[in-house]
Amino acid sequence: MAKPLIVCRDLSIIYNQGKSNEFKALQGVNTDIFEGEYIILFGASGSGKSTLMYSIQGSLPPGEGTLLIKGDDIYSYPPSERVYFQRYVMGIIFQSFNLIGSLSVLDNVALPMIFCDADRTTRERRAQSLLDRFGVGHVSHKIPAMLSGGQQQRVSVARSMVNDPKILLADEPTGNLDSVSTQQVMDKIDEINTFDRRTIIMVSHNAAHLSYAHRVYYLKDGFIVREVVNPQRKQIKPVKEGETIVTELEQLARLFPYDSVETLRVKSLVNYLTQDFSFDQIIRLERATGMFIQGKVDRDAYIKSLVLPLERGGVEVDTKEARRMASVTESLINNADDIRRYRARKDNNSIFFSQHKLAERISEHLSQKYNIKLNKEQNTNITELIADRVTGVIEDDDLNQRLMKGVKSGGLGLSEKEADDITRYFEKVIAQGVDVSYKN
Amino acid sequence: MRIQDLAQLSTRMFKTNPLRTWLTILGMGVGTGAVVVLVGLGFGLQQIILEQIVFGETLLSLGVSSTGAQGLSLTPETVVEFEKNPAVLDAAPLARFPALITYKGLTGNVFVQGVEPPYLRYAGVTATEGTVFEEADAGDTNSIMISPATLKLFGIADEDVKAFIGQKVTLKLLVPADDGTDNVNEIVIDKEYIVRGVTKEQGVLNVMMMLPELRNYVGIEEYERIQVRVDSNQNLPIVEAKLIEDGYRVTALSKTVEQASKIFQGIQVVLATFGGIALIVSAIGMFNTMTVTLLERTKEIGIMRTIGASPNDVKYLFVSESVVVGFLGGVTGILMGVVLGLSVNLLLNIVAGQFGGQSVKLFSFPFNFLAFITIFSAAVGYLTGIFPARRASTLNPLDAIRYE
Repeated sequence: MAKPLIVCRDLSIIYNQGKSNEFKALQGVNTDIFEGEYIILFGASGSGKSTLMYSIQGSLPPGEGTLLIKGDDIYSYPPSERVYFQRYVMGIIFQSFNLIGSLSVLDNVALPMIFCDADRTTRERRAQSLLDRFGVGHVSHKIPAMLSGGQQQRVSVARSMVNDPKILLADEPTGNLDSVSTQQVMDKIDEINTFDRRTIIMVSHNAAHLSYAHRVYYLKDGFIVREVVNPQRKQIKPVKEGETIVTELEQLARLFPYDSVETLRVKSLVNYLTQDFSFDQIIRLERATGMFIQGKVDRDAYIKSLVLPLERGGVEVDTKEARRMASVTESLINNADDIRRYRARKDNNSIFFSQHKLAERISEHLSQKYNIKLNKEQNTNITELIADRVTGVIEDDDLNQRLMKGVKSGGLGLSEKEADDITRYFEKVIAQGVDVSYKN
Repeated sequence: MRIQDLAQLSTRMFKTNPLRTWLTILGMGVGTGAVVVLVGLGFGLQQIILEQIVFGETLLSLGVSSTGAQGLSLTPETVVEFEKNPAVLDAAPLARFPALITYKGLTGNVFVQGVEPPYLRYAGVTATEGTVFEEADAGDTNSIMISPATLKLFGIADEDVKAFIGQKVTLKLLVPADDGTDNVNEIVIDKEYIVRGVTKEQGVLNVMMMLPELRNYVGIEEYERIQVRVDSNQNLPIVEAKLIEDGYRVTALSKTVEQASKIFQGIQVVLATFGGIALIVSAIGMFNTMTVTLLERTKEIGIMRTIGASPNDVKYLFVSESVVVGFLGGVTGILMGVVLGLSVNLLLNIVAGQFGGQSVKLFSFPFNFLAFITIFSAAVGYLTGIFPARRASTLNPLDAIRYE
């Protein structure tokens, strides 16, 4: 069996030991990281993930335990020799890029080679080719401050690779980037792992990145609370048969990265109790519905993707059910549009809008589902109720109560089940139709 | 790290922080400039004095004159006797008689000195105008040298001294009579002498001619003075002591030079101390700047350390930066000091010229001294850089990189 590249055994790091502000950053951590693996250290702030990474990097000597890189205890070397690891074994990327502002982009990338006594031509050729590879070759003679964040981070990826290290360490490399740059940088790092076969150790608290990794170590309060294997990637770490098997929990862990194992087990069970769909189906359904809501696919394509079998990327529901879903979604979207229009006109103090259209559709829904025809009074009342709910005069509970009240007292006189159903449906419509604003 | 890369990295401050860098260099420069000016002044003063008296053979000569007390007199035999001493290479006498000098009808009292060319070398006699008697002139019978004061006698202005060379004068020797009385015999020399040179002796009325020529007119029984040339520096005090023991009065120029040198070394130390204080102040300023730079660069140090700079790389970066600043400070200081010194000198000479004084070189900047100052200021740079550098190299990279 191949030996792990990085071995941590009972690693503990305590800051300010013996003082009143003593802080246990890492407590008895054990990890085995194999060559070519993509590892994410995941956790909230203060969980110890960065501490673990910098300890591997060679800047934080462990208080207790052992840390071996390629079988070598790097902390047994004096700082002047430990530098060998930082030069030839590890490259590093930071959240805040950490390029040196007074050097050109090209010199920044070549800097690690300067410390290795490489001559100018060699290092500039190497630096330029890496910059070209990461799509920032055209800015090599600018200074870092003239680059966008995404460009700077790609420059720093180039810098980390300039000495062709075995291990790439990344400390929240996308923390300061917009989503487009994040995607570019994540793709480059993934390429370094899959194409260049480098070992990646990334510190992150962005759950969206977890699917890139072979394995994720979840850290909390200095402990590794969970090690999750990504079933979508072929594992490098040798797995003993039967010892660890991939379960639904791994999948759930990626959906709910901040939940504990206990909560995930509960989620798994409740899903079984309440849903006919598996998590896999739900994820696909979500994706297809999202496209439909945004108008990227039409009704037919939506139904088609719902009917398609699982192995071909579909949700695998029968055609009748798919049609039902499509029509519900469609009417919901239409109602939501009405609400959006209503709110827009209300804000403009327009007198041209009446709630009748919305009320009509709600009645339609009622008549479809329960075969209830509303009389004139009921119609007046529901129009009133809808206006109150949409403008925020009443809450969802009030709506529910008023629906059950008699027609004389402004209600519709519905049964509890009918009222609940209408409320639920209408809340869904409101959720779609009311723009969420964080401005206030 | 290679030297050229180190040079490139450690001169970035001229680009990133030009104002502060140049101000630091200027501060260092003012300090070194003060040292350069003051020590240069010391050197200048020393040279002004020594230039007048220092000649190789002069320093190895002893001037012997009779005390008169013990009836010791300097005779031709004494010369021979002196020369018997193995440590003595040569002895050259000087005979002196009062005389009257006449130029274009003006007559004045002077002393005629009869010497041989070696005496002039041993006594360090030089000419401000015209030429000194050389070995080849030993048999000269036509020319004389006169002291500047003699020119004053004839009312020759300073600027006309040059024109006086080649003029003709006549001499009348006043020789005491042999009969024991105070009578004086007047010996008229019936020919004209050409003035070949003007000596530097101040305040004396002297005319110098070759001893054999003097002998043509007067018998010389007794010399005024004998210059004894000793073979080496080591023997100088031995011979001197022997002569003093024998009852002669001995003056050694080397002693005077030594004393003068000592005085000027003292002056230089005082001047250098003042300059040194200025230098220390600027070095402290520079140290301060380097420390601030360290704080400012803490993050950069952290970055460099995490991407593969060794502690020594970081140290070299800092040290070479401060050595560059120190070195440039030294060069700036030398420029400022030399320019200031020369300007003051020029100004003084212009003023002196207005008042009819002689022009002097008040400041002197020997090359070795300037080279020393350059190296010294680089060394000061090194010293002010080494402590911040050491601290920079021992910083924990992680703490450094998180420093804001």
